[in-house]
Amino acid sequence: MNVLGIETSCDETSLAVLEFSPKKIKLKSHLISSQVKLHAPWGGVVPELAARRHTEVIIPLLHQSLKQARITPSKIDLIAVTGGPGLITALQVGVETAKTLALIWHKPLIPVNHIAGHLVSPFLATSSWPLANHKTTWPAVALVVSGGHTELYLMKSLGQQKLLGRTLDDAAGEAFDKVAKLLKLPYPGGPEVAKLAKNGNPAAFEFPRPMLNKPNYDFSFAGLKTAVLYAFEKAKKKPKTSGQELAADVCASFQAAACDVLVAKTLKAAAAAKAKTIIVAGGVSANKELRRQFMAQTRSLPAIRYTLFPDKEFTGDNAAMIALAGGIEANEHALKPYQNNWRRIQARSNWELW
Amino acid sequence: MKGQKFISKSAAQTKLLGIKLAKQLNGNEVIALVGNLGSGKTTFVKGLAKGLGVKDVITSPTFVLMKNYKAKHKTIKNFVHVDCYRLPAGRHGVPGIELTAIGLGDFLNQADTVVAIEWAEKLPKKFKPTIKLNFGVGKKPSERSIGINE
Repeated sequence: MNVLGIETSCDETSLAVLEFSPKKIKLKSHLISSQVKLHAPWGGVVPELAARRHTEVIIPLLHQSLKQARITPSKIDLIAVTGGPGLITALQVGVETAKTLALIWHKPLIPVNHIAGHLVSPFLATSSWPLANHKTTWPAVALVVSGGHTELYLMKSLGQQKLLGRTLDDAAGEAFDKVAKLLKLPYPGGPEVAKLAKNGNPAAFEFPRPMLNKPNYDFSFAGLKTAVLYAFEKAKKKPKTSGQELAADVCASFQAAACDVLVAKTLKAAAAAKAKTIIVAGGVSANKELRRQFMAQTRSLPAIRYTLFPDKEFTGDNAAMIALAGGIEANEHALKPYQNNWRRIQARSNWELW
Repeated sequence: MKGQKFISKSAAQTKLLGIKLAKQLNGNEVIALVGNLGSGKTTFVKGLAKGLGVKDVITSPTFVLMKNYKAKHKTIKNFVHVDCYRLPAGRHGVPGIELTAIGLGDFLNQADTVVAIEWAEKLPKKFKPTIKLNFGVGKKPSERSIGINE
């Protein structure tokens, strides 16, 4: 089955053609047009600008992705599009494009939850796909961590998930961005904070580990951000080190606190659920320190057989994971329910995955 | 509560103040929240939402600029949470346009809707909220001062 994936929920326009079967997957083309530079002067994504850019690039990108995959529309069996959550004006570009294609090509169409896409993104690596259908992989506890999300799921099997907990205020990636902003680092701030942290002392500041000992799987990063702000302001007044060293120490200490909480809560959930696999996905899963801590801590846990991260190109928003999630859903229900259903599909900015 | 200044000793107290303010609302109000990072604005909004009968968890709208919630209240059916943190200062007039583009216009002047706007100081001067709240840090680091329509 050839699946055309379309993703426009935030600031990346992405199209992918994925050949899907339960035994084997093959990514035939995968294109991402990033808008990071467009939004940089604003310190974050501006929805209206994002939507305009999606509109400009989506059709040329579609043309290119079919060409690269050496495929004609007649050979596409299914269209999968991100239906939400995300920025409504941005989502609409992908959803309406997908509906138009479904109508004129007479193809089944599946709206995919963006988080469901991230949850399956580690399996896009050809080598890890066989794990997806192995009994020994499941159940898994999955952390989706990005600029817009910090959510913990229990996955009984592929495509079967239950929300365990989530952030009660800021997303982890948002906290990285806000720390970057108060240190006057360029946008996007997450990678900049990680870069500076490499030269800093993670024990220089004792930042709080919010929610670490609460008997639930929720997160909170607003208080940590506030603690960073006050510590930085105070340290600036009585400088013991150079400004550069101070910024590096703040970044390293903040990153250590954020990683501690993310890792500890995920492992706690994994122990309670007797999980065999840990999945960490989303933009922040590209953070090397977070990966290192997860690897280091799961190594000593015999119950955990696999710790899976997406390949770097699939950590951010991408259409390959949407195509895969669409393929998985279609494989469960067959294509019939998705025939001629473009009338019923609408972008949903607050689509919660429970 | 208007024209008053409150000292909150904890996040729980700040939230309670939000719940109290919610009891005085009828709909069609725009509440502007002004104050630095970590001064208690979102905590207050969590209380406000609770007071209006919003069941969902109020999370930061910084990333998406605006979030909409269903309220359960006699006259108020919608609660809109807006964050101007990321937007440049208002003198360019751009935030107004930006917020119009995400559909804020649909929720202003609606009898069954309450809108709370964080970092409202970034909005154009001509924008007049119903209630303006000023958040600051108190004498102790854990204290917050909250002024209502000062």
